[in-house]
Amino acid sequence: MKSILKFALCAVLLCSLAAMPTFAAGKTYVIGMSQCNLGEPWRVQMNADIKNEADKHPEIKMVFKDAQNDVLQQRAQVEEYVSAKIDLLIISPKEAQPLAEPVSKAMAAGIPVIVLDRDIIGQNYTEFIGADNVKIGRAVGKWLVKNYGGKGAKVVEIMGLQTSTPGQDRHSGFLDAIKGSDLNVIFRADAKWLEPDARKEMESALARYDKIDIVYGHNDPSAHGAYLAAQAVGRETGMVFVGIDSLPQEGVVYVKQGILTATFQYPTGGGEAIKQALKIFAGAKVPKRIVLGSRMFTKDNVDAGGEAIP
Amino acid sequence: MVSEIREPLRRDLGGGSKRGSSVLQTITRALTSSAGRACLELLLVLLLGVIFNADGAFFKEGTHRDTLRQASVYGILACGMTLVIITGGIDLSVGSVLAVSSVSFALLTMHMDWPWWLAIITCLLVGAVFGSASGALISNAKLQPFIATLALMTFARGFAKYITGGQKISTYVTQGDKVIIKELPPIFKVIDSRIFGGNLAIVSVIFLVCFIVAWIFLARHKWGRELFSVGGNEEAARLSGVPVRMAKFLAYTFSGIMCAVAGICQAAQETQGDPETGAGYELTAIAMVVIGGTSLAGGRGSMGLTLLGILTIGYLQKILSINAVPEAGRLMITGIIIVLAVLTQKRRTK
Repeated sequence: MKSILKFALCAVLLCSLAAMPTFAAGKTYVIGMSQCNLGEPWRVQMNADIKNEADKHPEIKMVFKDAQNDVLQQRAQVEEYVSAKIDLLIISPKEAQPLAEPVSKAMAAGIPVIVLDRDIIGQNYTEFIGADNVKIGRAVGKWLVKNYGGKGAKVVEIMGLQTSTPGQDRHSGFLDAIKGSDLNVIFRADAKWLEPDARKEMESALARYDKIDIVYGHNDPSAHGAYLAAQAVGRETGMVFVGIDSLPQEGVVYVKQGILTATFQYPTGGGEAIKQALKIFAGAKVPKRIVLGSRMFTKDNVDAGGEAIP
Repeated sequence: MVSEIREPLRRDLGGGSKRGSSVLQTITRALTSSAGRACLELLLVLLLGVIFNADGAFFKEGTHRDTLRQASVYGILACGMTLVIITGGIDLSVGSVLAVSSVSFALLTMHMDWPWWLAIITCLLVGAVFGSASGALISNAKLQPFIATLALMTFARGFAKYITGGQKISTYVTQGDKVIIKELPPIFKVIDSRIFGGNLAIVSVIFLVCFIVAWIFLARHKWGRELFSVGGNEEAARLSGVPVRMAKFLAYTFSGIMCAVAGICQAAQETQGDPETGAGYELTAIAMVVIGGTSLAGGRGSMGLTLLGILTIGYLQKILSINAVPEAGRLMITGIIIVLAVLTQKRRTK
């Protein structure tokens, strides 16, 4: 009897000793990423940026879910994360209004939430990280005025989806910057971020106007589509093509190939999100909003990694 | 070329000599026929282009060349759609099957390095499989064409997203941890190029070939006559010994093959395989067929009418584009034109 009791006591002690090292070594943090649509290459890059940064920290375990551009799907996925009691939620919502409630539920459950790129209605999240599309559009305008102003340049603007905030912001920022200059927008069309649509619109512009100097595409695929249209009629040399996004395998490659004159980066913020998450885990106070800086790439500086925009 | 039943004139246009009234009768008969009305619609749209010519852009040859190129992918879909509609059915899955073919072509050539001819044949087979699935559901399981092709539309879209992991397939290939940029397969450049001094796009040639094939089946082949009789009166056709099930099955299979061809052209023009491409294309293809004059009820129509419908919608899109009409306006104007076109066609039926 006594020996069995002794044996049992030793077993219990040994088990608790075995459990101790895990406690001492530090816990694993499970971070859930809710992406609205991996069908967009820019968002594939966002997930890749998150993964690259998270890989540097072995105590982080990443879980990725993709809502394939379906709002209800994304709501359900956030609710799944809350039930799974993850340690932190990173979300890039499809739309501001429908995702506000699931995010509030996560906050109420004690899960800190970092919102990336697209905003949520209300302030019920831990931190927002994103770039400022108005500022980027303005940077494009300023750069064009600085390098091509004074000659009455004719500009074609291939816009992104004008019912989306990035499309509206990249348009308004650009207009703001070229106000008062002699840059003249002679043709603008909504290509909805799509390259084939951009190509069609550029073909119309080329048919209508004999002289086009500058093409401003709201994203790199639009600028590329416009380039293809100009190339098909042999008018691409001497035309300036500018885009936004600067994905390393897309816009930056186009600059290297001489297709785009310049591309302005729209940073995904993926790496920054992980850095902020680690601060939150350490208990530090984080700012409510972080506006990411941007870079621009031209043939001169592309190999050096572009230059930062003030 | 127009193989359809002409209605006799309801009123006699009396007066004048017998020869004079027969000339007038011929002209009126021509104008009030389906082909005549379709020509009238096209002429009206072209007139819109002349009036709103965007500083003369409408008269440049580049505009017309581009219109044909831009309408080609829709036109290929409309070729298959015409045959299906003539049987009294509909194919809502064309946009999604186009996407399946598009991503398959990109995956096979860019990621798996297959030779171009094998990739093309495989994609055509994939299109045929999806089309024959619709056909089997409709002819054997006796499902309503709307329901069967709606189900295929959803399934095919999901299938396209599944085999691509929801991402666009391009020359930027992930191998393990690295991303390498491959060379674009030459077949893409070939399909997206132009001949005759830059005046005729290869995709337009492909569309014209599809058009001629569809026309031969419809106007000169026994199968075409079977399709008309199935659409006109299915029971009567069955009782007359027409192989109704096989005729309908083949119509949907043919539509699937047309989707595959369109998908390959789309991938070449986009230089990528996009699982979300082709969304809404089925509605444009149906609009092209219907405003051409082919009846949704079936039993009547022709490829010539569809060609007129393709040109009408193609030119309408082009005119809206060169005039830089904002997106909202384009959608509303296109809707109004479709309604007007269908109304003019409707006066013909009792």
